[in-house]
Amino acid sequence: MRVLMQNTLKRELRTKMNCGECQKKISVFLDNELDEITSATVRSHLALCAECAKVCEDFAAILESCRLEKPSEILPPNSQALWCRISNTIESEINPGPKSAEVQKSWFGRVWQVSFSQAGSAVLGIALISSLLTVVGIRNYIEPTAEDFTSRTDASQTTIEKVLSKVGLADTPQEARMRRFQEQRAAIEYWNNRVQQRRVQWDNKMRDAFDRNLNEIDQAVGEYTTILQQDPQDDLSGEMLDSALNEKMNLLRAFSDL
Amino acid sequence: MIRNLKYEPRVLMHTKPGKAHPLIQLVLTRKTTILLWLSVVFFFAPILNEVSAQRRFSRNYPATRNVRLQLLNRSGTVEVEGWDRPEISISAYLENPAANIAPQSLSGTIYIDLVKDNQGRNGVGNVNFVIKVPRLSIVDIETRMGNLSVTNINGGLVRAMISTEGDITLTNIGAGAVDAQNGIGDIFFDGEMRSGGHYRFTSIRGNINLRIPFNSSFRLVATAPSTRNISLGSFGNSNMNLLGNGRSVVGRFGNGSSTLTITNHRGSISFIRR
Repeated sequence: MRVLMQNTLKRELRTKMNCGECQKKISVFLDNELDEITSATVRSHLALCAECAKVCEDFAAILESCRLEKPSEILPPNSQALWCRISNTIESEINPGPKSAEVQKSWFGRVWQVSFSQAGSAVLGIALISSLLTVVGIRNYIEPTAEDFTSRTDASQTTIEKVLSKVGLADTPQEARMRRFQEQRAAIEYWNNRVQQRRVQWDNKMRDAFDRNLNEIDQAVGEYTTILQQDPQDDLSGEMLDSALNEKMNLLRAFSDL
Repeated sequence: MIRNLKYEPRVLMHTKPGKAHPLIQLVLTRKTTILLWLSVVFFFAPILNEVSAQRRFSRNYPATRNVRLQLLNRSGTVEVEGWDRPEISISAYLENPAANIAPQSLSGTIYIDLVKDNQGRNGVGNVNFVIKVPRLSIVDIETRMGNLSVTNINGGLVRAMISTEGDITLTNIGAGAVDAQNGIGDIFFDGEMRSGGHYRFTSIRGNINLRIPFNSSFRLVATAPSTRNISLGSFGNSNMNLLGNGRSVVGRFGNGSSTLTITNHRGSISFIRR
């Protein structure tokens, strides 16, 4: 009778919680996070069910070994990053053709995942490149002023200037030269007007010397202009014309004070 | 009376046949002498007058070894010579005594500006300078017309500029930078080129002659587009290249430690070994 009653109780308890439910709760049960009633039910089921008791024992053994082992031996280095990579890999397999924005996002995401040494190297590289570009830029900027009296030519043009002139953002040497000649001629006209007002006051000797020199410069200007009309690429004549126009401007300016 | 009058000359003329009367001879001789004296006075009077009209200006200034002389003349010659005294001596000969000259000594620089001092005035005439400065002086002289000459200067800079006509003569120069420029006229440089120095010679028409030691070292850009007459003499070597069909020579002599730029629009360029 007693045995019969025990078997009946076992059956009742088993019916209260089947094996599937019990095994789901085993992990939480082992962590002592179940309420008292559920915990008592699980405990009763384990006492009666050998199969679930075996599962519980296995779980308990795993947890025990985890407690005994050092965390570093269990967890991979930078586990969070590892999980992220795994997650990204899975996502990429699920969505083989992501949109460009997503690619960009993931790329940026990856950039932020570099180590400190990688980030340091990248910063150093950027600093080096920007320094080089600055030096090249400054040199290119300073170089034209270092030239003696000549205007810019194809040969003396910097790489940046060549690129800009090809794109149309800057003048070609020929255009720049023509613009400079126009400026010089405008200045010459201004100084010449002043000289014409003054020259009445000069003595004959001074006036003759001035005219002879002006005539000499004008002849040189005429020669260079003729050559440039025949060959606009003749940089040497361009430089000489620039020089001669400067001479003329200086002569007129010097005599405008007399 | 009339007869006598008519007779006397005859008597005088024919007293001794073939010879003039001594009285006439005396008068004739005196006439010649007088004429000679008159012609002498006629020819030399303007010169004497000019000499007496000239005014001489002379002044001395105490100076440091590396004093700067800055002179701007209108017309006339300028001669600057280096000496061993720590002072500047300025002598000027003014063609027109009324011309103004007012040198100024300001913070280590002697300024003479004839253009400013005589602005808007007629008939200033030539002003000829003879200036002596310490050898290490900086010399910066300019004139609108007339010859310039600089001798025995070893300072930081020699600049000589003629706006129109005149020759520039630079002898025994050892300056770190030389800039000589004229319109019509010759340029002659006789000196040494310092390492790291800059030397520039520019003329519209004339001959540019450089006399430098063979151990000089420079990077050269010499251009004579009209004549194409560039004579390198002993300084020609394989590092020198002709450009623009011989209108320009560009290259290096020695290790190229100084820069030498020569431009002669309508004249020649010559190098002479010192």
